[in-house]
Amino acid sequence: MPDELELLRRANPVPDDGPYYGDGPLDHRAERRLDRLLHQEPAPRPVRRPRLRRAARPRLLWGLAATGVVLATALTALLGGPSPQPAVAAPRPLVVRAGSTPEPLALLADRAAAAAADDPSGLRKGTHVQSWSMGMSDQAPPVTLPQETIVRWKPDGSHTELVVATDPRHPGRPVLSDEGEQPRPVADGHVISRGTYPPSWSDAPPEAPPPHDVARLRGYLREAASLHGGMTPGELLDAVDLLLDHWTLGARENAALARLLADTPGLNPAGRVTDRLGRTGQAYVHQDRSGARRMLIMDPSTGAVLGLELTATRAEPEYGLDAGDVMQYSAWMR
Amino acid sequence: MSNDEIFAAAYREHYWAVSRYVARRLQGRADEVEEVVAEVFTVAWRRRADLPATPLPWLYGVARNCLANAVRGYGRRLRLVDRLGNDEAAHGRHVAAGPESEAPGAWVHEALDRLAPADREVLRLAAWEELGAEEIAVALGCGRRAAAMRLHRARRRLRAEIDRLRTAAAQPMSPVDATPRKDPRHA
Repeated sequence: MPDELELLRRANPVPDDGPYYGDGPLDHRAERRLDRLLHQEPAPRPVRRPRLRRAARPRLLWGLAATGVVLATALTALLGGPSPQPAVAAPRPLVVRAGSTPEPLALLADRAAAAAADDPSGLRKGTHVQSWSMGMSDQAPPVTLPQETIVRWKPDGSHTELVVATDPRHPGRPVLSDEGEQPRPVADGHVISRGTYPPSWSDAPPEAPPPHDVARLRGYLREAASLHGGMTPGELLDAVDLLLDHWTLGARENAALARLLADTPGLNPAGRVTDRLGRTGQAYVHQDRSGARRMLIMDPSTGAVLGLELTATRAEPEYGLDAGDVMQYSAWMR
Repeated sequence: MSNDEIFAAAYREHYWAVSRYVARRLQGRADEVEEVVAEVFTVAWRRRADLPATPLPWLYGVARNCLANAVRGYGRRLRLVDRLGNDEAAHGRHVAAGPESEAPGAWVHEALDRLAPADREVLRLAAWEELGAEEIAVALGCGRRAAAMRLHRARRRLRAEIDRLRTAAAQPMSPVDATPRKDPRHA
C-alpha cells in the first residue's frame, strides 16, 4: 500500500494537470489586475459577490431607498451635501403586470426555434450589459452600484472592455461608484475602467462558443459554472448569467437556451413585465429554499433572455438586508 | 531587472500555481478563489522588495495569511453568500462520502480533516504543492529543521488516522453506528 503522503497526493482536489487553474497564459482578468498593480491604480476592495459573479461588475451598493430614514441619513452623510441628488436608489423588484397572461416557456421556445429557422445568425463574443449589484461591507449598509459594461472581441483574439457608472433610469444624475476604498458619487457616464487585452484563445466554457444543441448547451453551462454533479434551476440560471456576460447569443443559441429552460422544472411563468430598460418581457420565477428568488425575463417574440433579477426573500437584519431587496439585476442588450 | 519587473515575472509564472493553492483550500467555493488570489498578489506587490529569488513558496506563505484573513474578515459576508447561494450543494461535491466509500480520496480527506490545522497545512504543502522541507519552511515562516519535524510528525498522525478509518470501515456496522462520519475528533 502506498504511504500516506502518496495517498494524499492522489487525493489532490485541484491537481496541476486538472481541468482548472492549469499553467498557461494569464486570462484577461489576471492581466487586468497585474496591469493595475504595475500602474499603481488603487486596487479594488476585495468583496464577495454572489456565486458565479465573475465579470467586471459593481460590487457594493446602497440598500433600497425604501428602507427609509436610517438609509437616507447614511446617504446624506456619505454624499456630503445636497443637489444634485445622485441616482442611488436601488431598484425595486420588477412587478408583474396585473391581469397579464403568463406564457409557458415551451411556447417561447417554439417561437425562438421559428426565429432561428428564419435567421440562425447573430452569435457574437462579448457582451453589453447594464447591471445593478448589491453588496455588503463590514461597516456600512448594503449599497447598490449601477454599471454598464461593454466587452467587444476583435478578430485577432484581443478584446476591449469598457465599464461606465450609469443608471439609465436616471439619465444625467450622479451615481455611486465603489472605486477606491469607499463608495462615492460620480457623474453619470463616469468611466470606471477601459482596457484593451491581448489575444486569448481559451477553449473552455464560458470562453468557448456556446453550442446550439440543447444537450451540449447543458453540458457547456455545467462546465462554465464548474459544476461536477447535477445542476439545480438556481445553478442553471446563474450559469446563464455567466454565459450572457461573455456572449451575445444568436437566434440558434437563443432557441437552444429557451428549450433548455423550458425543459427545466421549477421555472414558473409569472406574466408580463416591463424591464428596467423599458422592454416588455415574460417573467419566469424560480424560488429556492435558501431565501433567494430569481426572475428571468425573456423576450416573448424571440425567446431571448433579456434580464435576470435576484431578490432576497428573507430579511437578514444582521446584514442590513430586507426581504424584497434586489441583490443583483442584469439587463443584457445587443 | 527592477523590483516591478521581477514582480511581474513572478506574477505571470506563478499566478496559476497560487490559484491552485487557494482552490485546494477553498473547495467548493470556486467563485472566491479569484478574489483571494487577487489579494495575495496585492499583498505581494506591497512587499515586492522582499520577493525572494525562488518566489513560489514565499507566495504560498502570503496566500496562507490571506486565506486566514479572508476567513476572519469576510466571514460575515460569506455566511450571507452561503445562505443565498448553492454552496451547500457544492461543498465536498467531489469528495466521495463516508468511510465506506471505495474512493481512495475519501479516505484521505476524512483522515486529513481529523488532524490539527497545522498538521493539515504542512501535509498539503508537501503532497499537493510538492514542496520540500526547505520550501515548506519558507511558506510557514519557520526554520528548515522545524519544518522537517512538523512534516514528520504530521505524516505519522495522518498514517494513524488512515489506519483507524480503515479498521473502522472493515468492521461490520451495527445499526447504531451506521453514521460514523459524526464521530468526534480524537482527543
